[in-house]
Amino acid sequence: MTFQDLILKLSAFWASHGCLLQQPLDLEVGAGTSHPETLFRVLGPKPWSVGYVQPSRRPDDGRFGQNPNRLFKHHQYQVILKPSPDEVQRIYLESLEACGINPRQHDIRFEEDNWESPTLGAWGIGWQVLLDGLEITQFTYFQQVGGIDLSPISCEITYGLERIAMFLQRVDNVFDLEWGGGVKYSEVRLQEEIDQSKYAFGQVDMPPEAFAALHRELFDRTYGFAEQLLASGLIWPALEHCLKCSHLFNILDSSGSIGVTERTAYILRVRQLAVRIAKAYVEQGEPTNVPQGL
Amino acid sequence: MDRELLIEIGCEEIPASWLPALTAQLARQLDQRLKEFRLTTDAPAESYSTPRRLTARVAKVAERQTELEELVTGPPVSAAYAADGTPTPAALGFAKKYGVDVASLEKHETPKGTYLAYRVRQRGKATVDVLADVMTALLRDLTFPKPMRWDAFLDDGKGDLLFARPIRWLVLMYGGRVVPFVIRRTEMAEGPNVQEIRSGSQTYGHRFQTTSGRAGRAIKIKTFDDYQARLLENFVILDRGERESRIRRELEAHARRLGGRVSGLVAAQSSLLQEVPDLVEYPSVVAGHFGPEFLRLPEEVLTTTMIHHQHFFPVVDEEGKLKSAFLAVINLQPERPEIIARNAERVLAARLRDAQFFWEEDRKATLESRIDRLSTILFHAKLGSYREKAERVSSLARWIAKEAFGQPDASADQAGRAGLLAKADLATDMVRELTELQGTMGGIYAREEGVPEPIWKAIYFHYLPIGVEADAPPARPQLGSAAIAWAAVSLADKLDSVVGMFIVGERPTGSRDPLGLRRQAQGAVKILTDLPELTGLTARLRIGALLERAGAPFAQGDRAPLLSFMGDRLTYLLEQRGYDVRNVRAVLHGGIERVSPLEARLKLEALAQMSAGGATHASPLHGVATLLKRVKNITKGMAEAGDLDAIKGRLVESAERALWAQLDGRAARIRDAAARGDYREAFTAIAALEPAVAKFFDDVLVMTEDEALRQARLTLVAALRDLILDIADLSEMVTEA
Repeated sequence: MTFQDLILKLSAFWASHGCLLQQPLDLEVGAGTSHPETLFRVLGPKPWSVGYVQPSRRPDDGRFGQNPNRLFKHHQYQVILKPSPDEVQRIYLESLEACGINPRQHDIRFEEDNWESPTLGAWGIGWQVLLDGLEITQFTYFQQVGGIDLSPISCEITYGLERIAMFLQRVDNVFDLEWGGGVKYSEVRLQEEIDQSKYAFGQVDMPPEAFAALHRELFDRTYGFAEQLLASGLIWPALEHCLKCSHLFNILDSSGSIGVTERTAYILRVRQLAVRIAKAYVEQGEPTNVPQGL
Repeated sequence: MDRELLIEIGCEEIPASWLPALTAQLARQLDQRLKEFRLTTDAPAESYSTPRRLTARVAKVAERQTELEELVTGPPVSAAYAADGTPTPAALGFAKKYGVDVASLEKHETPKGTYLAYRVRQRGKATVDVLADVMTALLRDLTFPKPMRWDAFLDDGKGDLLFARPIRWLVLMYGGRVVPFVIRRTEMAEGPNVQEIRSGSQTYGHRFQTTSGRAGRAIKIKTFDDYQARLLENFVILDRGERESRIRRELEAHARRLGGRVSGLVAAQSSLLQEVPDLVEYPSVVAGHFGPEFLRLPEEVLTTTMIHHQHFFPVVDEEGKLKSAFLAVINLQPERPEIIARNAERVLAARLRDAQFFWEEDRKATLESRIDRLSTILFHAKLGSYREKAERVSSLARWIAKEAFGQPDASADQAGRAGLLAKADLATDMVRELTELQGTMGGIYAREEGVPEPIWKAIYFHYLPIGVEADAPPARPQLGSAAIAWAAVSLADKLDSVVGMFIVGERPTGSRDPLGLRRQAQGAVKILTDLPELTGLTARLRIGALLERAGAPFAQGDRAPLLSFMGDRLTYLLEQRGYDVRNVRAVLHGGIERVSPLEARLKLEALAQMSAGGATHASPLHGVATLLKRVKNITKGMAEAGDLDAIKGRLVESAERALWAQLDGRAARIRDAAARGDYREAFTAIAALEPAVAKFFDDVLVMTEDEALRQARLTLVAALRDLILDIADLSEMVTEA
C-alpha cells in the first residue's frame, strides 16, 4: 500500500463512520491537535466528528534527511470523535484492518501514555497503540483544552502515517517509502527535509544574532497582532496567529537562540494567549456553547 | 441460604502499573462495604484483574442483611414525668419521633442515671435489594493515580463517575442472577453511540484470539467457576499468578533454546517482570535477533533500549555476556510468531541504529566541552541551570572529600572534577534519548576519553544508591578506586537538590514527591549510614554540618523542616532494615542534629546484639530503661545536671552515696566507649548501673523537705539522666511499639 493509498483508506474509512473530511491547517504546526478542527471543536457541547491529514513540523527532529526514522516534517492522520463512542476502540481496530493489518496476526497493545500540551493548556488520558512493538497511534481522551474542562469528552486518534506506511511496505528507511505511482518519498520530500533542517538549526547565511533577532521580532509582532485580533473578537485568525507564535518559538528553540529562563517565559506567553482564545471561543463561538460546570 | 457474589468491571486497558494495587483495593473495599451493609460472608473477597477487567468474588454472601438492633436513649426519667405522673413534652416528643406511646418506651439504666429509651429494630433487607447500593459505594471507593472523566455518572447524586479508563460492561450477579445496576451517561454525551452501562451476565474474551466465531463476542456466564473457565476458553487467563508463571516458563524455555538465559539486569534494574503480566490477557513469548554489529555498543545502552523502551528481555550467555537476541512477551498465541518476531526486530534495529549514531556523534566532543551547553538546560526555574548546579556540586563534593572525609587535596580534586562533569551527559544526544542513562552514560564517555577511574566511576555511579537496604548498589568492589570521590559527588548532588528545593518551597507533601526528593534524601542518608562498608572511612558524620555547607550558595531559610525531613528518611531507612521501632526512637531521640546516621546504626546493632535477637524485655538494659522513665519524670524541667563533685558531701543515705560512687566510677568509661564507637561496651556499663539505681529509688526520697538535700539528689539523678540520654533515650525501649 502506497503512502497516498493509506491516506485514501483512512479517509474513506472514517468518512463511512460519520466523519467530515477536513483539510490540513495551512499553517506551520507541530501536530494535528493545533488545528481548530480539534482545538475549537472539542470545546462546547456540539457533537463533531472529523478526519484530516496534518503535516506536522517538529524543528527539533530535523535530521537533514540523514536519519531513516526522523523528520522535520511528518504526516499525521487525525480523527476527532465527539462525543467519544462506546465502541471507539473496536472501530479504531477496524480502521487498521481496512489498511491491511490483520489484528489476529499481530500483537496490538494499548499501553498507558497520557498527553499534555503546556502551550495549549491541554491534557488528556490515553494510550500509545503498539503494533508488534511499534508505536503507530496516539489515542487520547481529552480532559481539558485551553484550561477548560470538556463535556462531552472527545476522543482523539492520531495515526503516524509514515510509521504505518513503513510497516506496511516493509521498508526500514522512510525515504524508501513509495509515495504513489512508483514515486519515492525521497523524491517528494528529501530536498525539503535538508533545507528545512538547515533553517531550523539556523544554518542561514546571516549572523546568528541577526537570525535570532529577526525571529524574536516576528514573534513579538505576531503575538501583539494576535492579541489585537482577539480584542476585535476575531477568534479564528487570533488562533492562527497564536499558532504562528508557537512555531516561531520552536524555531528560536531549535536554532539555539534562546536561553533557559527565556524559554520558559515564551512557553508561558503562548499558553496564556491560547487559554484566552479558547475562553473567547467558548464564550462567543455559539450562544449555547457553554460547557457544563462553567 | 448463602449465595455467590460475582462482580466484573469491564474496562478499556487499565495502566499496567496500577493493576496490582487496584486489585487489592477492590477486595478490601468490597469487604468493608459488605460489612457496613450488614451482609455476612463466609470468607474475604477474592479479586482478580487483567488489563481489561477488575473482578471480585465472594463465594457465600448471606441472603439477607443481619438485623439491626439499636437502643436510642431519650430524656432522663427524672425529666420525663410531671409531678402528677403525666409525661412531659420532652417525653412525648421523643416517643412521637419513633411513632410509639410513652408507655412502650424502655427505661435504660446508665451510670449517669435512668433514661427513657427506644429499641430500634430493623429487619434486614434481602441481599439482592442492597447490592446495587454496595456497587455504587464500591465504584465510588476505588481511587486511581490519575482518574479520568468519561461522561458517566451514578444515580447517587454525587455527579460524575471518574474512573481509570471508560467502563464498557459490568457483571453484577448474585446467586447466578443479574442484580440490576446502571451507570448513566451525561446528557451532553448520551446518544446512539454513547449509552448507559447496564449490569448483565455477559463478559468478553480476548480482543483478537478465538478458536471459532468472532473474537471478542459476548459470553454468557453463570458462576465464578464457569466465568473463569469460559474466559480461559476465550483466551483470557484471569489469574495474574498463572500469567506470570506462564511468562517465566516461556522466557526460560526460549532463552535455553537460544543457548543462554534472561539477563539478570531485568530483575535487578527494572520492574519489567512485574509489569508484563499486567499488560496481557493471554501471554506467550517470541524470540528475535539483532545485528551482532550492535554488540559494540555499551551494554548499558543495549539493555536500556531493550528493557525500558521496548519491554524486551535481553538474553545473556553462560558468562553473562549479552547475546544478539531478545525475547518479547506478546498478548496472544499467534499462528505465525515469526511475523511478530520480524517486526519486533525491525523496531529494535531502528532504535539501535539511532543509538549507534548517538554513540559515534557524542564521542566527537569531550564531556568538558559540554559544560557550556548545560547553561541552556534548566534544573529548576528558581535554582538556575544545570551548569550552575554542576558548579555547586563540584565545590560541595570537593569540600566533603577534604573537610568532612579528611582526605588529601589530590582526592578532593578528583571529587571536585567528577562533580563538575557529572551532569555534562545531559547535553549528549544519547541521554536526551535514553534519559534512564543519565550519569551512567557520562561515566562511559569519560572512560572512553581516558579520564582516570576515580573520576569516571564517580560520574557513572553518582545517581546511586537508590535503595536503602544495606546491600543496595553500588558495592565497594564495583567502585574500586573511585569510592571516596563517588561518595563525595553522590552526597553533594543529592544534598544540593534537597536543600535547594526546600529553600524554594518544593517540599514533598503526602504522596506528592514529583522531584523524588525522598529518594534523594534517603540516598544521602544511606551513604552516611554505610560509609565504612562503601568507602573504608569510619567518620561518623552528622547531617547538620553537611546541610549547612550545601545550603551556603542559597538564601538562608529555616533549617528545622529540612532536618526533620532528613530525620524521617533516616528513621525510614533504619526501620526498613528491621530494627525495632522503639530502639530506633531511642537512638534518634535528640533528632538528626544530635546523632550521625552511622552512630545511630552502630547503636542499634549494639542494642540488637544485647537482646540477642530476643524481645526487648530480655535485654539486660530493660531494668535501666524502666528506671530511666522515673528518672526523666522526676527531673522534668531541669536543664543540666550541674557539678557532681559539688554535691558529694551533701549526700547522706548509703544508697545515694553508692549511686554517686557508681556514676563517678563509670561515667568516664561509658563516655569513652561511646566516643570510640564501642556502644556495646557503653550499653553494658549502663546496664551495670541498674542495681544501684534501683536501690536508690527504693531507699531514698528525692523530694525531701530539706531544700539543699533535695537539690543535691536531683542533681545526682539528672547526672544519671544526662549520661544515658547522651547515648540513647533507653526509656523508649519500654514504651508501646
